Amino acid sequence: MADPKPRILVVDDEPQITRVLLRSLTSKGYDVRIAADGEFALQSFRDSPTSLVITDLAMPNMGGLELCRRLRAISDVPIIVLSVRGEEKTKVEALDAGADDYVTKPFGMDELLARIRATLRRQPVKDAQARIFEVADFRIDLDAHVASRGGEELRLTPKEFDLLAHLMRNAGKVLTHRSLLGAVWGGDYTEQHEYLRVFIGQLRKKIEPDPSKPRYIITEPWIGYRFNPE
Amino acid sequence: MRSFSPVKSRWFGFVIAICAVGVATLPLKLLGPHINPTTVALAFLLIILFIARAWGPAPAVCASVVGILSLNFFFLPPFGTFAIRDPANWIAFVAFMVTAITVGQLSGNAKQRAEDAENAKREVERLYYELQDSFDRSSQAKALKQSERLKSSLLDAVTHDFRTPLTSIKASATAMLDDIYGTERDYAAPALDQEARKEMLQVIDEEADRLDRFVEGLTKLARIDAGDMHLQLQPASVEEMVTAALKRAEPRTRSHRLEVWIEDLPPVTVDEHAMSEAIYTLVDNAAKYSPHESPITVRASHKNDRAIIISVEDHGPGIRAEVRDRVFEKFFRAMRDGDISDRRVAGTGMGLAIARGIVEAHHGHIWVEDAGGGQGARFVIELPIDQDLASARAN
Amino acid sequence: MAKPISPKLNYYAALLAVAGGTVVLIPFRAHINTTTVALALLLVVLFVAMTIGSKPALLASVLAMFGYNFFFLPPLHTLTIADPQNWIALAAFFITSLAVGQLSARARRRAQESETARGEIRRLYEELQEAFDRASEAEAIKRSERLKTALLDAISHDIRTPLTSIKASATLLLEDRDEADDAAKLSSQEQQAMLEVINHGADRLDRFVEGLVELARIEAGDVHLHRNWRSIEDLIEAALAQAEPLTQNHKIEVMVPDELPVVRVDGRAVTEVIYTLLDNACKYSPARTEIKIGARLNSPDSIEVAVEDRGPGIASRYREKVFERFYRIDENGLAKGHPNGIGMGLAIAKGIVEAHGGRISIADPETSHGTRVVFTVPVGDDVVPDQKAQAKPKGAAAWPD
Repeated sequence: MADPKPRILVVDDEPQITRVLLRSLTSKGYDVRIAADGEFALQSFRDSPTSLVITDLAMPNMGGLELCRRLRAISDVPIIVLSVRGEEKTKVEALDAGADDYVTKPFGMDELLARIRATLRRQPVKDAQARIFEVADFRIDLDAHVASRGGEELRLTPKEFDLLAHLMRNAGKVLTHRSLLGAVWGGDYTEQHEYLRVFIGQLRKKIEPDPSKPRYIITEPWIGYRFNPE
Repeated sequence: MRSFSPVKSRWFGFVIAICAVGVATLPLKLLGPHINPTTVALAFLLIILFIARAWGPAPAVCASVVGILSLNFFFLPPFGTFAIRDPANWIAFVAFMVTAITVGQLSGNAKQRAEDAENAKREVERLYYELQDSFDRSSQAKALKQSERLKSSLLDAVTHDFRTPLTSIKASATAMLDDIYGTERDYAAPALDQEARKEMLQVIDEEADRLDRFVEGLTKLARIDAGDMHLQLQPASVEEMVTAALKRAEPRTRSHRLEVWIEDLPPVTVDEHAMSEAIYTLVDNAAKYSPHESPITVRASHKNDRAIIISVEDHGPGIRAEVRDRVFEKFFRAMRDGDISDRRVAGTGMGLAIARGIVEAHHGHIWVEDAGGGQGARFVIELPIDQDLASARAN
Repeated sequence: MAKPISPKLNYYAALLAVAGGTVVLIPFRAHINTTTVALALLLVVLFVAMTIGSKPALLASVLAMFGYNFFFLPPLHTLTIADPQNWIALAAFFITSLAVGQLSARARRRAQESETARGEIRRLYEELQEAFDRASEAEAIKRSERLKTALLDAISHDIRTPLTSIKASATLLLEDRDEADDAAKLSSQEQQAMLEVINHGADRLDRFVEGLVELARIEAGDVHLHRNWRSIEDLIEAALAQAEPLTQNHKIEVMVPDELPVVRVDGRAVTEVIYTLLDNACKYSPARTEIKIGARLNSPDSIEVAVEDRGPGIASRYREKVFERFYRIDENGLAKGHPNGIGMGLAIAKGIVEAHGGRISIADPETSHGTRVVFTVPVGDDVVPDQKAQAKPKGAAAWPD
């Protein structure tokens, strides 16, 4: 963990769930602040340094989506959204608006705690301009156009390379189909999810020890993909 | 004058124009000295008018031309030539031209307009009938689409009201389970202290109750909808019902100033339990939606010798006139302007719907009006004293 | 042309017009003959007819006739006429002016009437549209209510049961805290067990409500499909991934040919269908038996997917009814019409398949016994063939790489 006591901001207008989250997260050693809506959340966020924001999506006044956008505009703070099952569209919207991960309600606390840990552990490639970076035992050199794992060079096609680089840069973050497609192939291809699937499959064959049980490139069903840095 | 079928083409009109004038010329000429050019001119004008009405402006012009020529040649001296000796006849000749063309044009155009208007009218009629048809056929489809929208928001409201307590319940239980597993796995002390565990269990308990109440409400609604209420009607004391309701609402009304005015009323034939619940709902709402320390006034009085009135008045923000009917709809709170995130006030939106169901099952009425003197709402229940009489009247 | 305001005014106007015309013509009596006058007055009558109306035109005709006679037919300033030709002319004038006046006015009136009628009809049309909207809304609300009732109907038992368990466990755990007697206190295992009950109860409730709502939506025809081009193989894969915990004890065999076209479906929904069929297959067939999933091209524009297990199978007489919601066949093979949450899967599957324009049914198993559920999805109808070709994943090489 980066700080001794990471501060988590929980945004939800339901008093019962915030009670539980407060107790549980505090017991795990986090410093927890609660906000009942987006406005209070932004205020709290500005008042003190926050390591992670957990927000519900359906809230009065400012909804979770809007909060994500506003937060993203001023910070890179990791955001986990709490969403309702079956609402894929909202999840995708939230992720595209800047959220890093999502948890579906009703959730098990163990699942949420694991996501929190993973998100906090994630060290985003600090320098967006970096030309060389490493995640897990992967290493990418953008200038030399070389990708390697555990020292061993990977033979990737240009698009596979770009895809891997983008995934690694955002390791731990859930990337929606359209954001991946847009980042690697450009704006005209954002709806071609099938193509992405094919490339992911090819990439997996090259980097996964067992492509049928992917360890690094995780599928988020109907949402997108995530590069697991662990 | 008969209107000719528009099927008759303009070409036919041209032909007739020429023929008619030609044919008319003959008898007119034969009448010779008995008629003067005025008469001839007028006769030709009649023909032109006729042609204009039947075939429109263009054939009328043709008739005019032929008429003009004929008039000049046959009837204006010197006869048999196109010359005209008398200046007055020149003027007359010109006048005839002008008149002929004018009559032809105006009449022809009027005819045209009349036809156009007729067509337009028939067109609109056709559309009307088509619409009626499609009304019958597709009222299904449209109703479905609108019902989809309604249902979607209703279903969203229901799922939300279910999922919220479930989320808290599952989060609490798994938090505690996670803690137990953690202690077992790491041989460490539990992270959750006694206070925390107690609170979590309380959350589970409370939320389970909340779910239960919600389901309870839904079931009641279902029964109301199905007309399946199983009311046990018995003579009951209004004072007792109101008192029972207030007692149940006591925890809510503690922080308000309660005023109770109950007249001396005869017993009413009601399902005491159900009616008390309806009253409780009104009092509960009043407490929920008005500020602390504000007064809540409960009144029970005669309306006339057949009915009584029970009212609950608060000093909250009141209910906007536009929604006064709709507050009694199921899940109205959640459907307000379709915005389910508008959850500023607690509650499931079922209480009033249930209350209405109960009151109406007793052949009564329930409505909301302005609180007397200023801000607030007054919910009113009107109940017939004698159920038999009331139900007889209803049927 | 301005519409006159009052009838009296119209007549005055007609009078004025004729008078005006006459007055204008009088000074020229020397230079113009009676023909001209007749024609001029005729024009006046026509004018009156077109601008004012037929009755004023009638008045105009009469007035004009008298005016013509009085001022223009010799002997002047008398109503007698010397020349018999002029009698005929006068008569002709009267007739013609009447004809011109009346017919023109009539034509104009017809035009006006038609306009009015058209306006009327348009108004009725709009009223009808309004009624349409209102009625539809009323009907919509009615349908909504009816379906709500049906929804609420199923609730009691299947919600109350897990809810009761949750409540009971929570109460026990809470009371246990106040338990002074150590011997009577719940052990850690027992506490854990209660918490598991609560956890699973919450899950059951959640799944039930979700199924219920989905069913309600399907029955309302409210299935919003987000269609995209997908390969059946993918959907089967996704369903298998989701069903992994269930399929541990079975042998799954997947048979999908390579050249299947992609289909335009709601991926999540069709995956759910396959998942449901898998789930049922696992539930109703013995452990370690085989479950086969296959897909094939049924016809040029539909793909058939089949899930087959080696369980006891479903008797023909139940093969339709199992798709009814809440239907479940109990161990004795007897039909159970009682609302039972778990019976929703097939009804939902049916709803989804049919919303895509496909069909689902129970077919005879390929071997001696078992259940074979088959459904079809159309390949995709309303899309330009170009897009279809583009979407084939095998063509990935055509992409910028």
